[in-house]
This record gives sequence, C-alpha cells and structure tokens, in this order.
Amino acid sequence: MKFLLRTLSLSYVRRHRAKTALTLLGVVVGVATYVAVVGARGSLLGGIRETVDRMAGKAQLQLTQEGGVPEELQEAIRERPGIRAQSPVIEQVVVPERSELGSLLVLGVDLLGDREMRDYGFEGEDADLDDPLLFLAQADSVAVARPLAERAGLKTGDVLVLKLPAGPRSVTIRGLLTPKGFAEAFGGNLVVMDVYAAQELFGRGRRFDRLEVRLEEGVTLEAATASLRGVVPPNVKVETPDRRSAQMERLVANFAAGFDVTSGFALGLGAFLIYNAFSVAVNRRRRDIGTLRALGATPRQVQALFLLEALALGLAGSILGVLAGVGLTRAALDVMRQGAEQVYGVTASSEARLTLPLVLQGLALGLLASLVGAFAPSRAAAAVSPTEAFAKVVHQAGGAWSRRRVASGAALLAVTVAFGVRPPVSGMPMILSIVALGAFSALLVVGPVSHRLLAFGAPLVARLFPVAGRLASDALLSSPRRSAGTVTAMTLALTFAVGIGGYIEATTATLVRWMQDILTSDIYVRASANFARPDYRFAPEVKDDLLAVPGVRSVESYRAPRLEYRGETIVLASIEMEAMLDRTRHDWVEGSEEIARREVGRGGSCTVSDNFARKFDLGAGDVVELPGARGTVRFPIAAVVKDYTSDRGTVFVDRRTFLAAFEDDRVDVFDVNLSAGADAGKVRDAIRTKLQGRMPALVSTKREFVADVEKAIDAFYALMQVTLVLALAVGVLGIVTSLLISVVERTREIGLLKALGALGGQIRRSVALEALAISAAALVLSLPLGTLLALFVEKTVAVAFAGWSLPHETPWLLLGQLLVALPFLSAASAWVPARQAARTPVTEALEYE
Amino acid sequence: MLELKDVRKVHEGKARVVALDGVSLSIGDGEMVAVMGPSGSGKSTLLNLMGGLDVPTSGALLVAGADLASKSEEERSLFRRTHVSYVFQAYHLMPTLTAAQNVELPLHLAGRPAAEARERALKTLAEVGLAARTTHLPDELSGGERQRVAIARALVTGAPLLLADEPTGNLDTARGEEILQLLKAIHAARQTTIVMVTHDPNAAAACERVVRFRDGRVVEDTRG
Repeated sequence: MKFLLRTLSLSYVRRHRAKTALTLLGVVVGVATYVAVVGARGSLLGGIRETVDRMAGKAQLQLTQEGGVPEELQEAIRERPGIRAQSPVIEQVVVPERSELGSLLVLGVDLLGDREMRDYGFEGEDADLDDPLLFLAQADSVAVARPLAERAGLKTGDVLVLKLPAGPRSVTIRGLLTPKGFAEAFGGNLVVMDVYAAQELFGRGRRFDRLEVRLEEGVTLEAATASLRGVVPPNVKVETPDRRSAQMERLVANFAAGFDVTSGFALGLGAFLIYNAFSVAVNRRRRDIGTLRALGATPRQVQALFLLEALALGLAGSILGVLAGVGLTRAALDVMRQGAEQVYGVTASSEARLTLPLVLQGLALGLLASLVGAFAPSRAAAAVSPTEAFAKVVHQAGGAWSRRRVASGAALLAVTVAFGVRPPVSGMPMILSIVALGAFSALLVVGPVSHRLLAFGAPLVARLFPVAGRLASDALLSSPRRSAGTVTAMTLALTFAVGIGGYIEATTATLVRWMQDILTSDIYVRASANFARPDYRFAPEVKDDLLAVPGVRSVESYRAPRLEYRGETIVLASIEMEAMLDRTRHDWVEGSEEIARREVGRGGSCTVSDNFARKFDLGAGDVVELPGARGTVRFPIAAVVKDYTSDRGTVFVDRRTFLAAFEDDRVDVFDVNLSAGADAGKVRDAIRTKLQGRMPALVSTKREFVADVEKAIDAFYALMQVTLVLALAVGVLGIVTSLLISVVERTREIGLLKALGALGGQIRRSVALEALAISAAALVLSLPLGTLLALFVEKTVAVAFAGWSLPHETPWLLLGQLLVALPFLSAASAWVPARQAARTPVTEALEYE
Repeated sequence: MLELKDVRKVHEGKARVVALDGVSLSIGDGEMVAVMGPSGSGKSTLLNLMGGLDVPTSGALLVAGADLASKSEEERSLFRRTHVSYVFQAYHLMPTLTAAQNVELPLHLAGRPAAEARERALKTLAEVGLAARTTHLPDELSGGERQRVAIARALVTGAPLLLADEPTGNLDTARGEEILQLLKAIHAARQTTIVMVTHDPNAAAACERVVRFRDGRVVEDTRG
C-alpha cells in the first residue's frame, strides 16, 4: 500500500495540484473555523471565569448590588465577626487613545487596605511603586502591568490618555505591576488606581462596583454568608467569585450556543469538499482503478488506498487548519467579546488561548471529516468493475431513485416538521437533532425532486438557448446522480442561507419595527455606550437641567437594573409609565393599554414582556416577587406586552413604584421629547454643551440612537453572517467540482461536438448554463426548506432560548440579493470547467475512453 | 486449465443483450489459443469471464479447477493475483509509473517485499528485451515497447494463465510480429496457457488452436 501511495496517489496529486489545493483548502477552512470558533468560545467563557477569579485574588465572598454598593455598607461589614478584611472595588473597561493597545481593564482598589486581597508585586527587589503616599495623593496616579508598559513603550512618569464618555482623560503611570496573579487578568491589559479616584473618574458617585471579603481562618462560607445577609439590604447579593462567574457565563450562554452551529457547519463544509474532490478523483482514475483490479487488487485494497489518501490529505489540511485557526482565534474572540460586552455587559479577557486538547480535537475532527467525506467515493472506487472501467463507453453514475426513498424522505420531513413544532427534547440537543433529521430527509427528497425540476425546465432552457441550452440540459439529465448531488449540496447551502439569513432579517425587521413603536422620543441622553451595563448613572436632578434647554417639552427618566429572578438575570425597566404610553404603541398579549395606564401607571402593578411570561409561565393576575431595598417587593401582573428589551425577560413598572421599592433615584437614560418645530440636531448640541465636562453623557437624536442599537444587533449576528458566506462558498465549490466531473465525463462528446462544428463559445455557454440551472433548481428547492428552517428558529429555537416567538417574514432583501448574486456566482463557478471544456483538443477527445 | 459448460452471459439494461449463449469449451494446460470472431460476437466477454472480472449468468466455469462463479469479488481478486495475468490492446499502463514500477505493481498488490518486487521486475523486463528502458515512463516508450512492459507485468507474477485482448491491435505489422514472437517464446519457455482474443489472422496463425465465435456461440474450433 505504501508503494501505491508513494507512486499512484502522489503522482495524481502532482498532476492535479490546483484540485488538491482546493480540497486541502476545504479541510483547512473547516478545521481553522472549528478551532477558531471553539477556541474563541472557550477563551470567552474561560476569560470571564479567569477575569473574575484572578481579580478576586484571595477574596472569598463578593457583595454586589445592581447600580453599585453604597460606601456606608463597608462599616456594617467590617464589624461582623469572622471577617478578616474587606475591600471596595471598581472595575471599568476603557479604550485608550492609542487604540492599538486594545481595551484596558481599570481596577480601582484601596491600595493601602487591599494587600489582604491581592499581591501587587510592588515589594521586594523589583519594587516599582516608589512612593505609595505620592501615588495616593495624586488622583491621576495609575499602576500598569509591566508587560503592558513594555508593549506600549511606557515608563513611570508617562501619561496614558483614556477615552471616556465625558471626554479624554489623562492618567499618569506611577507604578508597575509584576505580571503574576491578578496582574495577569484581562490578558495583562490591566491598570490599577485608587478606588476613590476611580469613583471620581468613572462617575460612580459614592458607590463601589463591589465589596470583597476575606474570612478569618476556620470561618465557613455558609456561616459568613448568613452573617453578612443579616446586615445588608435584600437587594445586595452575597456570593462566591465562582458563582458570580458562573452566572456571567450563563448570561452569555445563548450567545455562545450559536457558535456551536457555526463550528459544526464548518466541519461539515470540510467533509463535503473532500467528498466532492474524491468523487472527481474516483471518476478521473476509473481506468487506473480498473487496471489495479485486473492485476489482482481487491475492492478492499482500492477502498483502503482512497481512505489513506484522504487521511494523508486530512492530516496535512488539519495541521494547516490548526495553524490558521490559531491565527483566526484572536479575530473570532474579538467579535465574540465585543458582542458579549455590548449585548450582555460581560467583561472577558481579550487573551486568545488554545489548549492542547482543542488542537488535538481539531486534528482528530479534521481527519474524521476527511474520512467521512471520502468514505462514499472510496466505496464507489472499490465497486468499480474492471470490465466497466475498460469499456469504450464513458461511465456515468446514475439511475432512477426508488419510490421508497422518496416516500421515506417525505415521511421523515413530516416527522421533522412535527418535532420542530413540538420538540421532544430541549436545548442544544433538540436543535442539533432536528437540524440533522431535517438535513437527512432533505438529502433523501431533494435529489429526485431536483431531477424532475431540471427535466421540467429543460425545454424552456433549450428554447431560450437552442444549442448551449440543449447541451446543458443533456449533460444534467444524462447524469442524474451527479446533477442531483450538486443540486442537493447547493440546496442545503441555500437552505441554510435562506433559513438563518431569513431569521436574521426577520428578527432585525421585527426589532426595528418595535423600536419605531417604542423609541419615539426625539433625543436620548445616555451615560454609557454599553446598553447592558451602564458604567455611570445620572443624578435625577439632571432632568431639570434638560427641561431648561430651549425646545425641550418633556423628559422621562428610564432606569433598568438587572435583577436575579428564579436564577435568571432579568431586566426591571422603570419609566414614567403614562407619559411613555402617550407616545408609544404596544402590542398587548394580555390586558390592554387602558389597564396598563390604570394599574401600572397609577396602581403599583407591573406589565411583563411576553418572553418573561412564557419563560416563567406567568400571566395577568400572577405576581412577580423581586428583592427590593427593604425586603421582597410584590408586583401583580396587569398586562403582558410584546417586547424585545432583553432575551431574559423584562418587567415594567412605573418610576414612582420603582423609587418606592428600590430607593434608587438614579437614571440610565433620559428620553427627551421636543416642542413642535424644535430642531433635534440643535437641541442635541445644546444639551451636549450644557452637560459637557460635568458628567459623561452620550446625547443622540432618535435616528442616531436607533443606529447604535442596530449596530449592537449586527454585532450579535456578526459571526452568523460569516457562516452564511461560508455556506454559499461551499455550494459554489460544489458546483465547480461537479462541472469539472461533467466536463471529464463528456470529453468524447465535447470532442465530437467540436468536430461537428460547435464553437468554443457555445461549449463555454453550455457549461455556464449547467451551473445556472443547478443554482436555479437549488434556489427553488431551498425556498420551502429555508422557510421551514427559519420558522423552526423563529418559533421553536427562539422560544426555547429567549422565550420569544418571532413573527415570520419573507426575507425579500436576502432573496433579492441571492437572485442578483447567484447568476454571477454560477458564472464564476463555471469559469474554469468551461475553459477546460472549450480547450479540449478534438483528436484527443475522440480517442478518450 | 479452463472448462466452460453451457455458459450464458446476459447483459441486462435498456436493451437485453445475450453476449454468450451456451458456450462449452475446454482449454488444456499449456495451450495457446486464439479466439476470433466479428465485433459483438462475445470474445471480450469470454475473456472477462475467464479472468474472473465478470461472472456468467448461468453455466459452469472452472479456471485451474476453481469455480469462479461461486467466489466473491474479493476471492476472485485474490485468485487473479496468483493464477491469471492480462495483456490489453491499450496496454493499460499507469502513465505516472516507470516501466519497472508498472511491472512491480502486481507484486506490491500481493504484498511481496519491495526489494524482491524490484528484483523480479528488472529480471522480467530484461527477459522481454527492455533492460535499458526500466526507468522510462510509458509516454517515453514506443507502442511495441509499451506492450512489452505490459507483457512483463503479466509474466512477473508467474501466473499460469495469460489472457491477451487484441495484443497486436494497436501496433504496426512489424511490431505486432515481434509481440507475437515474444508470446510464443514465453509460451514455449514457461508452458503458460495463453488465450488471445484477436481479429488479426497473423496472430491467430501463431496459435496452436483457433476458436471462432458468432452471436455468442462457438461456431468453429480448429487445431493447427
């Protein structure tokens, strides 16, 4: 076998370098995408855990509160028995003016008292904090991790400019941190400053992001937690760093789950390209296989030869794929990290790490994908009969499909639809099994149906293009299995594009429409670009400042803390309910606007989003219990409304109800409504001028605000869109290889046509028409299948993960794009095969066997 | 060596074709037989059945005492390795392998050690007069030389049955004559049973026995 590999296989590779490279590319792309996506996903989740763990240092418990922990809580904690030390912390991700350095995590700590929690590496021979008192005396003092300083070319005394919502702020480096322990958090992009200076710099008022607690020896976590709960308000969470990181990981779980589909798809892509390439190879080497068989090679030897070739190719592709994946992981992590931060407000390290198990997994899966892809062609090679291989009639795989296959495919599709509507299992296994079942049933049905479709369209094509059209139709119909295989591959790719792209388009359209109904104020004043985790909150008095700006008619104060409810982090949105209802339009699932005005606006009840109601199985008349400032608060549900504020569910209360229950009068966003005739741009500028230098404030007109939200939606779907492009690329590569087979199979026929006077242009056009017909048939078949996939994602997957049942919409934009793009993609995919066909020398072709 | 009793071979397809219609034929060890007949008479089908490349639809077929029809494809392949060798009209040499590598090929398939395969290949190539052309690719050889490589490849395994399908069909008269002389010499030296399908009367004349086919039946069987 070694001899055969060294001679026959290697020489085939040498003779078909371009095709081998294309096949190799399939494995490389598959493995690289898998490694990058899974590596980035692991880095994201690991980064969340590690950032929390490393930053926690020796802290055993952390106290957090939505909107920040008040300073005065320190006193109460300090006095509790069993507490060795407590330390306040402020944490803020910032972007430096030198953006090439990446995001920085600024940690505000009490440098004198925090040594109990974290080892700063200031002491010893390499002491880098010369004068702690000078450090503390100057509010702009920071210490940076030494690797960051070296990378940035910064030394003690240098100034670092940070981009903050209130404008650029300079800080001075007055210490360097030894890169160990917590200083390695956030990939070492760490800046430490005094916690009170951080309060001032980031506008935290008299609050900290959390208090950290270290216990005396022998004190159990349970006892300390119980003791602390006795003195802190009920809306303050007391938890271990582990639990906090686990909760943050849960928050981004939905977001991360989507990437499993992407990485699985990438490997499927690799397997498909191997399948295509080996199908071509088996067809081209049919005579060699026949000779081998005549010389005594067993079918098993022939199959082993092809599988070994696949293994060798898979190994080379996997190694290159892992190397490429290492490079791509960073980019994928950046996309995910931005999405997680923008959508969920979760901070993770930007350090991309690839573990040995992942590298091995990438290699193993690359090899497996190669073997899976090559299995069917290798079996076909083993089944080559020498008598057929030497026959003077060129082999064309094909034949009619059994009725049983079509019937079982249709039945399986019906079962898939039934399971899709009412899934028997939940979570990721449900999605994967239903998608796999759907793909399998499509494989059974699409082939035979596509053949009928091509036969149906053939007369039309022949009428439109009398010579080239007839040649193309003959080529497609005379080799039904090959044509069907290509149409099936393209159909699956387009189904994915139509289904997922359609889902993204429908979701975006739904959200945009919802925003048009909800975001009806003229100007929005925010303190933070991050929707999920505002870094700064306005004092309520700012409302008066805004009302004093000429042109402003009214201002509403929106505050939306994230609270824990039955183990999920939900949003509690508060606003002046009646004023808001006056200017917005809602889609009520239960109750009505009138009930909301009466019972929520004036009566202390709440409305809940439809996904909240669905997730927690609640409705009008039920009660939501939340941890308030002075104990549990109860909000009867007055109405259920369609709402897309949070994929975890939202509870809406009137601002007065909120103030009474939570005793927190700060504001996240001011919704500013203008008097008739006032110019939004001018009023926006006036507000900016008024607030500038006093507080961080992002002032946007409605259009700018909506554009920002749309950007966040795009960030959420960014990687999914990359997958769509990959799907189409697979389909196109499928067409290229199929046409190459077609040209090889028809070498003699093409030669004969040329001998009879067919021109090169006619031959080229016939190949291009073949590609176009394949794409057109695939598009027609993918419309119903893609719609089913979109419905499954919108109605079942979205309900399972976010509690939303999204309205289906035909993705006209996507379909328009496909209709324009497909002819070009078809022509591009036909280019090489068409050239090959047109250049076929007549004499050689006529001798071709 | 070969026993055929009432062998029928029917190709099912769009049209049903009876390639062999009740052929009974016996070929002894060490015979050199020419099979002649017009195109479509069933000659090539007969050769495929004798080599175990195909199986009869009905009837009995014994090759070297083995009933090939009852063997699986895998068993027929293994049988072919040791008992049957082929020479084709179109040579069917691997275009990317040198002459020596082409001759080595069946030995590698049979799992012989590389050194032994190389030694036997070179020796057999020398026997057919190609000692100086061992490193040449098929493209670099003349038609006659290619057919000699194919013959060397058939001889190298020492199989007792050599099936030749129009071995002179692609060659001019002089080269064809050389190949026939070579086959005769091999036959004389090794006592190899040779069955040769041919249209060429010269090739038939070189054989001890001529079997004529028409419409899938034996119509004449003469010994020279």
